[in-house]
Parts: sequence; C-alpha cells; structure tokens
Amino acid sequence: MARVVVDVMPKPEILDPQGKAVTGALARLGFAGMSVRQGKRFELEFDGEVTEERLAEVRRAAETLLANTVIETFDVRVEPTPESAGAVDEAQNSQAGNNQAENNKAENNKAENNKAENSKADGSEAQSAEEAELAARAG
Amino acid sequence: MSPKIGVVTFPGSLDDQDALRAIRKCGGEPVSLWHGDDNVDGVDAVILPGGFSYGDYLRCGAISRFAPVMAEVIKAAEAGMPVLGICNGFQILCEAQLLPGALIRNDVRVFVCKDQDLQVESVDTTWTSEFTVGQTITLVRRRRLRS
Repeated sequence: MARVVVDVMPKPEILDPQGKAVTGALARLGFAGMSVRQGKRFELEFDGEVTEERLAEVRRAAETLLANTVIETFDVRVEPTPESAGAVDEAQNSQAGNNQAENNKAENNKAENNKAENSKADGSEAQSAEEAELAARAG
Repeated sequence: MSPKIGVVTFPGSLDDQDALRAIRKCGGEPVSLWHGDDNVDGVDAVILPGGFSYGDYLRCGAISRFAPVMAEVIKAAEAGMPVLGICNGFQILCEAQLLPGALIRNDVRVFVCKDQDLQVESVDTTWTSEFTVGQTITLVRRRRLRS
C-alpha cells in the first residue's frame, strides 16, 4: 500500500479569509504571533508501488478536480503509509523518511527534502484544525 | 410557442422548484433535468438553480461541474444556448469555466444581507438585453416570510 498526499493551498496573492478568521480566533485564545493560511490535504492510497505514471495521474487529478488552479496551488508527494509508519517512527530522529523515498524512486527530490519536515508538520496542523473548529463553534 | 427552459437538479439543489415555478409564471415551458442525464432534452435555455449541491464539498460547485448533464450543458452553451446560474448555479458555471474566474470567500468576513444597487455594464447578453447601459438596478434581499 502506498500513499500519495496532495496539499492544496490558496495562492499567495489570494486573500485567505478563512486563515484570517482562524488567526483571529487563535489570538483570542492566547495563541499570539502566528499567522494562519488554510488549505486542504488529500490522502490518496494505492495498492502496490507509486510509479511515475501513477504520480502523473495524481497530478492530473489534482489539476482537474482537487485544486482550482485559478485560485489555488497544489503539491504532490509520496508519504509513508501506516503499515510502514512503525519503522519510520523508530527511525524518525535519524531522518527515516528518506529510505522510503528512495524506494519510491518515482518521487522527486522535493518530496525527499520535504519528508522529514512534513512528518513534523502533520501533528501541529491537526492541532490547529481542531482549534479552528472549536473557535468556529464558539464564535 | 413558449420557450422550453430546463432546470437541472443536482443532489443538494434547493431552489430548482422555485426556478421551475418562475419559468411557468413567465410563460415558459419548464423542463426538469436531472444531473445524471446525458442530454438536455432539446431545451432552449438552461437554469442551474441555487442550493448546496454535493453539500458544497471540496469547493462550491466543484463536484456538480462534472455531472453527466454538465457535459451537455457546456456543449450547448458553447454552441450559443443561454445558461443562467443562480447562486450555487453561478458557482458551478465558474467551476465549469463557462464563466471566467473563481469565487473566494468574502474578504471582510462579515455576513452581508441588504438590498444591493448594481450598475448595468452590458446589455448584449440574453439576461440583460432589456436594460440600458448605465442603468441602476436594485437586487432585493430575501424578505422574511410571514408565518
């Protein structure tokens, strides 16, 4: 099983009122000094390996449906799956993601460079989403 | 002969019945179209009504835009058939690239509900041909219904 992640973000020049609303709510909750932009994350799972063809297909899907390229940009990358996550967790402190990326030769350099950062970022993203929802309910 | 005007119902459309009624009241022949249809039943024009098609999932109108009937609507529109998108229907037209651009959220982050004056810029469209250029028209906000 392989997982490809597509991140969709509003283009930098596009106003992001959702992000602004979340930024304001965070500040009111005491999380000061952070500026939020809000996007979407799609997880696409496949049987077998992620080939270059498969990635090209995902990029086509992202461009066709997942992102509206008039106002959004997208980024496609291969991510370790839950089955392989145990191994990755153990090795996380020593840049585990890279082995996986090498196995998936299909993915480009960018994904390899991003991998370690991404696994760190995931936790904090989930947390802010939860807080945003709380804030939205409160507001 | 009264014009046949189709109204597409998508999963989550709310105002399709209103649109069909408006067509009837204006002397047209309303034709119900279904999102899964593979033709537009020979209508003279199509209305994409308001509502929350597919629950506004992904982006408003993004999923409806790929409904089977939309392929036919796009083809007919490109051949000159008038299409009117109201509210969610307008969002679908933007996603389908029958209208340029994309809708984003209100940048002032305030819910606005008021009568809105608009200035008519163009009268060479089916929908504005009875206005004059520069005319100010007022779109009235939805009044609270008496119970």
